[in-house]
Amino acid sequence: MPETKILPFIILVAYLAAASLYPLQLRWRRPGVQHVAFGLTATAFALQSLFLGYRWWLAGYLPVTNLFSTQFFFSWALAGVYLYFELRYRIGAAGLFVIFVNMLLLISVMGRDAALPPLIPALDTPLFTLHVAFSFVGYAFFAMAFSLGVLYLLQRRTGTSRLPPLAQLRRLNEEAIFLGFACFTLCMLFGSIWAQVAWGYWFSWNIKGVWSFLVWLFYSGMCHAKFVRRWQGTGYAILSIAGFGVVLFTYLGIGLLLSSNHPLE
Amino acid sequence: MFGQRLWRFCCSLKLAIVLASTGTMVMIGGSLLIPAYPRLFGPMDQLPLLAWWRSLGSQAPSHTWWVPVAGLLLVLLGFNTLCCFIDWLLNLRSRWRKTGEYLVHLGFVLLLIGYLWGSISGLRTEGVRITIGQTIPVPGMSGHYLQLETLEPVLAKGRQIDIIADLRLLRGDTVLTRKVARTNHPLLQRSLVVIPLSFGQQVVGFRTLFPPLGTVHLTPGSRLEIPGGGELRVLAIYPNATRRPGGQVIQRGESAGRPAFLLQLHSSAAVPWQGWYLPSEEPAPPALAVAGVDLRPLEPLYRPFGLFTITLDPGWPLAAAGATSMLAGIVFALVSFYAKRRRGDRPEIY
Ligand code: HEM
Repeated sequence: MPETKILPFIILVAYLAAASLYPLQLRWRRPGVQHVAFGLTATAFALQSLFLGYRWWLAGYLPVTNLFSTQFFFSWALAGVYLYFELRYRIGAAGLFVIFVNMLLLISVMGRDAALPPLIPALDTPLFTLHVAFSFVGYAFFAMAFSLGVLYLLQRRTGTSRLPPLAQLRRLNEEAIFLGFACFTLCMLFGSIWAQVAWGYWFSWNIKGVWSFLVWLFYSGMCHAKFVRRWQGTGYAILSIAGFGVVLFTYLGIGLLLSSNHPLE
Repeated sequence: MFGQRLWRFCCSLKLAIVLASTGTMVMIGGSLLIPAYPRLFGPMDQLPLLAWWRSLGSQAPSHTWWVPVAGLLLVLLGFNTLCCFIDWLLNLRSRWRKTGEYLVHLGFVLLLIGYLWGSISGLRTEGVRITIGQTIPVPGMSGHYLQLETLEPVLAKGRQIDIIADLRLLRGDTVLTRKVARTNHPLLQRSLVVIPLSFGQQVVGFRTLFPPLGTVHLTPGSRLEIPGGGELRVLAIYPNATRRPGGQVIQRGESAGRPAFLLQLHSSAAVPWQGWYLPSEEPAPPALAVAGVDLRPLEPLYRPFGLFTITLDPGWPLAAAGATSMLAGIVFALVSFYAKRRRGDRPEIY
């Protein structure tokens, strides 16, 4: 399918153009630039959604079964999360990290095999689709929280008027963590039910299972830490950064460093 | 008052943070040992946790101590969460807006209790073999039986990708449930899960040349009329066997090779003759030779069987209730999140 090479490329160029305009907007502060940047992001996301929908229709299942598909879906989830915050709060350049990761994923996707193999019976269940989809949307929110955490620390040092004020960054960060935690909880619930019907037990002691539980426990802790005075603001920003480290280790580190029996590997 | 202080301590969010973060640290450290000692930790998924601890975990406490420690911390966290939930119930009139959050808390407590329960009194048996038509007792469930009606492998490019097993669960003679089980669609009955894993073929007998009668199918239980009078009964068959120098016949494997037949010859003699006959290895025993019995096995006869994983997890119904509560809680909490934030409805803990 030639479109599997061309479309991601067009989408990437649109994101790239938007990502270059956002910093310019920080300098020039022209609403027009912001509008164009937003328009480009929204168009890229719409194209990406169409492409995802098209592949879903072609395959007959949400394609999240190989590296091409999972990275493309994760990239789509990141862009979606970015747009959500942009539409709601006009965060502009504050979410650039997310767009940056999204672009890295798109670049990596272009070298991969885009085939849509028939779904093997082990993965042929809506529980699998829900499990994977919610995990990536959750990770996307955690990536956004990471980005906002870094900006919070930056803003605390510089106090610049180019970035959103500290109070807003803090609130956005808390919101990203809560929404991410909610998605990740759904991911864990659907995954556990799937494990129960596939293996007869709903919690697996393989390292990926244990670390997913740890990610969940960590972010559930963060849902509480925001109520504790001492952890608000800076502490929370640091936790968001550390949490994303745990996520990265769970998603990438374990797969690369250690072998596991997770069905997606 | 001491009682009140104790209750507030049990409901304390700070205690929750201490317990959860200590538990996390312990599990981070401990879990890195999992891939390093696969023989120790690998079977953790094949056995309920307590059975694993008894048989393996407790043998190497220097590598596994973190499992009970993390377990204890999580149990304490569960107790802490339960106290928070009860405290919320007691103040429901002023805090009903937090229903979503507290359904999540309740869900966590139920999941934890469900897991503990299953870990202590669950049972997991892998590789249970059932041949088509066979009825076997369900391990750990007295009076319950599993019956395999049919079995159908699904192949793609010669590889087995699925297996479809028509199963019945019986209590005594009553059929409790019937399920055409396959991957991701097990037979589920409260705490029982039966999952078809793979299939195989078992040699149950041999198509055999028996000169006076032509070819016959010999399986345990077969009876042959001998033309000169008398009857030959097949008591047992080893698909591949050999005779030790002392005369003892031993089985060498389950696949077809040099078969051995345990036969009983009923003739005019008062006492029937009984003994092993290994036609590919030795001439017929004298009693059979006299009766004109000469067997020449031609090809094995197979009967397919399924291999099943059977799990009994008495904690599962509770865990499922916990999952439902947590799912509903997440949906409620999400829906009410912005409304509550607009109201500035948010506790501050110092
Ligand atoms: C692992 C177990 C737990 C999970 C998964 C969990 C989950 C949650 C979630 C998702 C929220 C909502 C946060 C938000 O509004 O952003 C929350 C709030 C809260 N949790 Fe927990 N929690 C757990 C344990 C505990 C424990 C042990 C306590 C008490 C000691 C506790 C006390 C609270 C309180 C007081 C709130 C605030 C509710 C409010 O908005 O008034 N939680 N929890």
